[in-house]
Amino acid sequence: MRIVHYVNQFFAGVGGEEAAGTAPDTRQGAVGPGRALDAMLGSDHEIVATVFCGDDYAASDASAGEELLALVRGLSPDLLVAGPAFTSGRYGLACARLAAAAARAGIPSVASMHPENPGLDEAEPAPVIESGKIGREMRPSLERLAQAIEKLAGGEELREHDGRIGRAPRRNRMAERTAAERAVGLLLTRLAGDQESTEVPLPSFGSVTPSAPLADPENARIALLTEGALVPMGNPDRLESARATRWLRYELEGLDRLEEGTYQSVHGGFSTVAANADPHRLLPLDAARELEREGRIGQLHHEYLTTAGNGTQVATARGFGVEWAAELRQAGVQAAILTAT
Amino acid sequence: MSATRAREGERRSGTGLRLLAHEVTAVVLGEETTYGDGLLTVGAREASGLFAHPALASVRVACASPGDSTRIVKALDAVEPRCKGGEDGGIFPGLLGPAALRGRGETHALRGAAVISAGFLPRAQEAVLQMGGAGAELSPLSATHNVVVEFDPAPDAPWEEVAAALRLGVLRLAEHLAQAARDADPDVVEELEPADRSTGLPRVVAVTNIQTQGAFKDVLVYGRTMAGALPTWIDPCELADGAVVSAQYGHPALKNPTFVHQNNPVVAALRATDEVELAGVILCPEPVNEKEKRLVSEHAARLCAAVGADGAIVTKEGGGNADGDVALKLDALEDIGIHAVGLFAEMAGRDGTSPGLVVAPSRATALISTGNYDELVELDGTDRALGGERMGIVDAAATDELELPMAAIYGSLNPLGWSRLTAAAEV
Amino acid sequence: MLLCNLVSIAIRVGAPRIVPTHGIPFPTGDPELGPEEERRLRRQLVERALDALGTSVDGPTVFELGAVTGAPA
Repeated sequence: MRIVHYVNQFFAGVGGEEAAGTAPDTRQGAVGPGRALDAMLGSDHEIVATVFCGDDYAASDASAGEELLALVRGLSPDLLVAGPAFTSGRYGLACARLAAAAARAGIPSVASMHPENPGLDEAEPAPVIESGKIGREMRPSLERLAQAIEKLAGGEELREHDGRIGRAPRRNRMAERTAAERAVGLLLTRLAGDQESTEVPLPSFGSVTPSAPLADPENARIALLTEGALVPMGNPDRLESARATRWLRYELEGLDRLEEGTYQSVHGGFSTVAANADPHRLLPLDAARELEREGRIGQLHHEYLTTAGNGTQVATARGFGVEWAAELRQAGVQAAILTAT
Repeated sequence: MSATRAREGERRSGTGLRLLAHEVTAVVLGEETTYGDGLLTVGAREASGLFAHPALASVRVACASPGDSTRIVKALDAVEPRCKGGEDGGIFPGLLGPAALRGRGETHALRGAAVISAGFLPRAQEAVLQMGGAGAELSPLSATHNVVVEFDPAPDAPWEEVAAALRLGVLRLAEHLAQAARDADPDVVEELEPADRSTGLPRVVAVTNIQTQGAFKDVLVYGRTMAGALPTWIDPCELADGAVVSAQYGHPALKNPTFVHQNNPVVAALRATDEVELAGVILCPEPVNEKEKRLVSEHAARLCAAVGADGAIVTKEGGGNADGDVALKLDALEDIGIHAVGLFAEMAGRDGTSPGLVVAPSRATALISTGNYDELVELDGTDRALGGERMGIVDAAATDELELPMAAIYGSLNPLGWSRLTAAAEV
Repeated sequence: MLLCNLVSIAIRVGAPRIVPTHGIPFPTGDPELGPEEERRLRRQLVERALDALGTSVDGPTVFELGAVTGAPA
């Protein structure tokens, strides 16, 4: 098979965090960990090219996805391999999105990352193979990935014992008994000592690594964010009120207050009467400006980001979080205050 | 003399309830209401007359049977026809009659029939009930012979009064229809035991959470709201006499119509097994803030302990917000050593890959799935629609072929476990 | 950091720094209070948010206006 390999700026050898804004580009043949992967695959398969992109660019630039897909298509691969991304959120998201887009465009794809990577849920319909947690586990992660690639080459589906992770889609069907009858059945097994059985596995949200504390707020740039769907009156950009698929940004430069009547919340999950009467109840601009004037914070970021957190699919919300973080870091923001309803 | 406990035989709250079930195998409109040999004839004029109220300009009664090429849109509440036997009235206490304690004596029920109101009310979310063709099997009420009541509100009548008048009319009609069967020999006699006695088996409580969000989103217990209340224990036999009536018109797939409270599926399933004994029903409001949810949930767990529960099955009404009430109760029960099972619908997205439970318990793990809310279903077009001429949730005629999320299908994901629908991982 | 009312959900999804609010519809306000009191509350909430940002944490930690508590074990 002709394989195209996607990696981030670090594994492409371009640079570390300082190069996270690198635009998409390609190199001939395998690069970085791709070389080891290529060797493991033997002579039947070849990594003919490597596509790479900076993590921040991939996560925050709206056109990044299209650019990357175009580069991949231009190389006419039999298979796209993305990662391993380990637990790196931006990298994992980029791998997942590219693998998903390629798969939908008819190019078989597979991504590799740790089960806790926030990007995991976005890879559908492309399969994801489990990698280790950290870069030190590169070798075993690549070996597992290589085995999965061999299977794909043989036309086989990847399953759990191949290291496939991510949710198997859940489909509706009629059971033999009603849910009430099954509930009684499940309770009877619990009363008999079984502590495990369940019809619905508990969701795992993974863990969030706390950031280091903000040492110097007096000199920091701080951003205000809200999931309360705060938009200019009239909702000019049509933010959805539920199951949002987008987030928006609005200018705060020169504004000391959010005047009643100029903003509204379009959130469908709670009564917006109080927020519409005083938008500061969602976005504390007045208090933030006071603190800025008093020198308690260095600077308030010039825009706020918002979405509607009402029935948002968890995968979508995870993606927004990764994009917001990339966005704010690129803008030099050190800390963010998110209000939730 | 020292105080002694009353002996077991002396302390009785009375016998249970005898339910006389009369099967309905066909329903038609006619001159007067009669029942015989399974045929229910609904006297159209008598029926409409039961809805006479200043808030209603007019009502129309129609029949819809299983397999009919009929779709009921904007379905509101569904009620199983029931009346008391003997000289007592008193069905649907607090609404049709005085709010006196019920759940004893004899009660007649028309099995296989339902009175269903359909039409526009504010804050109602459009609920679709397909009687025949593709999609019918998803709603449990496609298997009953339905007496459908459409209505026109009086001009300028406040909507709360329209809803209340409609609700009373439906309950009156339900009683009126059951009364036609009082003299018929029942097809099935069920002796419903009261829940206040112990046989030594493990004891299980049905913890039933109900919506308490005000007009059009409330559930009445003995005719009153439970908003702001703490949980209460009731005997399951009281449900059989209509002590709990739905005034909640949102959440088509995730609602508990009055019919489901009358026939509480968890209670029925617990009665059907001989491995545990039913220790009662605990009704709990569903508050809308975290602190109150916590108080209600912990109180409910303590009530379960007080009635000697070894296990509990916890249900809800509504969407993600109500999941919080179930999750908190499951954890509170597990914390005091009571095994708990919760029923949840999943919001797993169109393709079923999103995590289905946003508000899951932290420590309890025994969960039953009533299906994926987001999956799309196909409904065949029908010859007739009741409840409206056009759909509200999509731009289509009410009789058109439709593709809708499971969320819009009446009773499909029923949180009390009425349906056989579930979601499972594709292998 | 996160200002929200449903603290148990915030803890469950792993938010490291949480400041509890008075109600779902008004994270940085409270319509029950008079205008002056509400502005004071808002200021206090934002100051607490800054405290939280400046504090080292290992996992979900709740910063009430009055005191700090770690997530229940």
